[in-house]
Amino acid sequence: MKIKDIEKYIRKHTNADDFSCSISEIESHETRFAQNSITQHIAGPKLDISLELSFGAQSGSCSVNQSDADSLDFLIKTAEDIACLAPADPEYMPSTGPAKLPEVQNCAPSTLNLKPKAMVEIVQKSIDKAIAINALVSGMCEKHLMKTWAFSKNGFVGCNEGTSFGHSMTLKKGEVETKVSYEAKDYAPFDLDTEFARLQAQSEALASMQSFEAQKIAVILRPEALQELIWYLTWMMNRRQSDEGFTAFTGQLGKKFMGDKLSLYSTLKQPAISAFPFSSEGLPSQETTWVKNGVLKNMPANRYWAQKVGCEPLHIFNMYIPGGKTSEEEMMKMVPRGLIINRFWYIRTVDMKAGELTGMTRDGVLYFEGGKVKHAVNNLRFNEIPHEMTRRILALGAEKLASPSAIVPTALIDNFNFVDKTTF
Amino acid sequence: MKYLDLAMNAASSLGAEYADIRIQKTTDQVIYLRNLSLKSANTSVLNGYGIRVFFGGAWGFAHNNVFSDEAVLATVKKAFDIAKLSASVNKKKKLRLAPERSYIATCKTPVCIDPFDVPLSEKVDLMMEVNRSMLAYEGIKQAVFYLIAHKDEKLFASTLGTRLDLTSQFIDPMIIATAIHDGDSQSRTFDEGGRAVGWEWIQSLNLIEKAKQIAQEALIKVKAESLGPETRRTLILDPNHLGLTMHESVGHPTELDRVLGWEADYAGVSFATPEKLKNFRYGSEIVNFVGDNTLPEGLATHGFDDDGVPGQKWHIIKDGILNEYGSTRDTAMEIDLGYSRGCNRATYYYDQPINRIPNLYLLPGTKPLTPAELIADTEDGVYIQGRGSFSIDQHRVNFQFGGDYFWEIKNGKLIRPLKKILYKSSNPEFWNSCDAICDERFWSPFGVVNCGKGQPSQSARMTHGSAPARFRNIRVGGSQ
Repeated sequence: MKIKDIEKYIRKHTNADDFSCSISEIESHETRFAQNSITQHIAGPKLDISLELSFGAQSGSCSVNQSDADSLDFLIKTAEDIACLAPADPEYMPSTGPAKLPEVQNCAPSTLNLKPKAMVEIVQKSIDKAIAINALVSGMCEKHLMKTWAFSKNGFVGCNEGTSFGHSMTLKKGEVETKVSYEAKDYAPFDLDTEFARLQAQSEALASMQSFEAQKIAVILRPEALQELIWYLTWMMNRRQSDEGFTAFTGQLGKKFMGDKLSLYSTLKQPAISAFPFSSEGLPSQETTWVKNGVLKNMPANRYWAQKVGCEPLHIFNMYIPGGKTSEEEMMKMVPRGLIINRFWYIRTVDMKAGELTGMTRDGVLYFEGGKVKHAVNNLRFNEIPHEMTRRILALGAEKLASPSAIVPTALIDNFNFVDKTTF
Repeated sequence: MKYLDLAMNAASSLGAEYADIRIQKTTDQVIYLRNLSLKSANTSVLNGYGIRVFFGGAWGFAHNNVFSDEAVLATVKKAFDIAKLSASVNKKKKLRLAPERSYIATCKTPVCIDPFDVPLSEKVDLMMEVNRSMLAYEGIKQAVFYLIAHKDEKLFASTLGTRLDLTSQFIDPMIIATAIHDGDSQSRTFDEGGRAVGWEWIQSLNLIEKAKQIAQEALIKVKAESLGPETRRTLILDPNHLGLTMHESVGHPTELDRVLGWEADYAGVSFATPEKLKNFRYGSEIVNFVGDNTLPEGLATHGFDDDGVPGQKWHIIKDGILNEYGSTRDTAMEIDLGYSRGCNRATYYYDQPINRIPNLYLLPGTKPLTPAELIADTEDGVYIQGRGSFSIDQHRVNFQFGGDYFWEIKNGKLIRPLKKILYKSSNPEFWNSCDAICDERFWSPFGVVNCGKGQPSQSARMTHGSAPARFRNIRVGGSQ
């Protein structure tokens, strides 16, 4: 069945007092290459039909990936059976009603029109470029076309269509390994020559490595690195977890909890980043200020908790951190010495209440002193608290698309807490 | 099923050098209860098929969720076309497949009571009672119970003539109590990992008593002190902690695809490179790791992998020396191994299988040794139970682990509880510092159900296991 027919079928056949349903279709093509060969090559469609329904405050849910009548009957009956057996939920919320959703443009024609053959040519060229400099390249070239349709018994209807294109390359030349990646809804700005030149420049900068001990030191976090830490920070920013005392954000709403230089938004006004028009609860996405010049202005809260504590239900649908005008060269002159970090890796929570994370640097670390890059250094482990780290931001550079849902600048941060080093 | 033959005949007609089809139905039931509120009671069913074609030294993989002759044939064609595109790139560096024979077999996880046959009300009643028993303790502010039941039903056929009917399943209960005291919040978790068994395991666990115990321990933990600055100390690690440590520091580094650099762009590579085979001292002489996809109740015990290779048992580390990798038909030939160890697994029907960690465990000590004797024999150290924070570099050398429950050891006695403990070490220092392992009476499994790897990302399952073990001279201290 087509999406509209699935909706009609579910509306007609469920006896539940209330329901909400989402249907998502994804068509993907994914080419994975490693050490100058293709190792995986995948294509096909995916379908997900998820139904949550309730009788009174008793709820159940089911999801299937097929749209024939038998599968939809199974979907409805399973969700109804679960709801009938489930206890009444004291936190039950009815489905949302009609809502005016923001106009978004998450679909890019250039990505829609990209053919598998062209993607394989991109891979071939990536490999050819690596071979030409006597190196090995590994990476991924992928595109996804996504469509989501959501509706509820109480009248909510939402739709989103989106595209994404990704191309990443890890280059290994001698002992040096480094990576660049492009991820966006739009394939059109992608230029392999530019990406490979960036990769090669990174690789050459890392050619002479010297051992470096872990210590507190200034760092220049490039956008890919900064966004990883800030995503963790946003996950710990949940209003309910904070109100109930489980995170470092407890009692901080409205206060200057972070550094002056940090402002953080979810926005519909930045065309380069994707913005899903509604949340999984059926709430329209809206311009939201999470942090303004270090002051914690809002926190994400679901509908139940928002109603309980009397705040507006809000959700994070993308990340926008406005940048500054300081170049990397200027940042290097602002502190006596420091490190330039491309990315982090394997970040995990060490202490939820303190907000402390651990992780490693990856894909190249450069040491600078006296305003100039001196040499590469080994990778390092950090134990750091992101909200405290924002208080040590000394300068922000130009903002950049760091992932399909984040625009983030480069940041100069003082006294970043490295605690261990590795052998490479 | 007719689609097996239809697909394999079509692939052969197109010129595939090898092809297989995996028809897979995955059913999950996830129940999540928090503070007596049922946050989720969900059943999901994913049903479809993936077809792999090997042509010209390259793979093509296409998947579909529509079951019809036309759809199956179109999917075979798509897989073949993709393989041809891949082959055009791989002209100078073709993949090869290790030889394998054909099999006709049926394998099924033995269960007495299928968790999917247990009424939801019975499960939720138990979970509610467990929640109530934790919330009855003053200071426990959050009581959580996750219960996952999972079943994979696969039909597999290959152009080698293999026909397999495989059903595997597992169940995974996890209970968390979180206490708040004096501005701090600390959790304690009951987590034995997943196990390939039926509901009878849940019935045997006495979860109400377990819940009371972890609630009490959460209250002890939140009031505990941390350690001061990092110093070198002795660690005694329980099996439900060591499971994750061996997963990260032995399991992943000995996956052959990582060794070959096939995960260089994402999950990382391995320091345990092929020239180290049979000569590299990975651990002390008492350290023996076995890969075993025949392990009863093991999460990677499926009978056969998704290459159609049977489950096997072999030494990955023998007497402390790196002995062999976990391999697949394609990775094995890159080091001219000539056979696969059967480690190729996919998560869902739409995933192309990749080289995964097998069931992997540390053999128990050969001399009688109890945990109490091990503690009594330790002058100054920390005893760690359960999983905590974990992070390791992309070559699998440097790592930092936390834990869930900690006690300080002084002069052979557990003297005080601790919290916020971290230890740092690296390969091969850590496993070479292992100087004692309790005997087989104290060996227990730990099942990992969410091992993330690959692009597109997949989540695999495998069982680890050990007896409590001691490690000397490790950097241990409190977090910030």
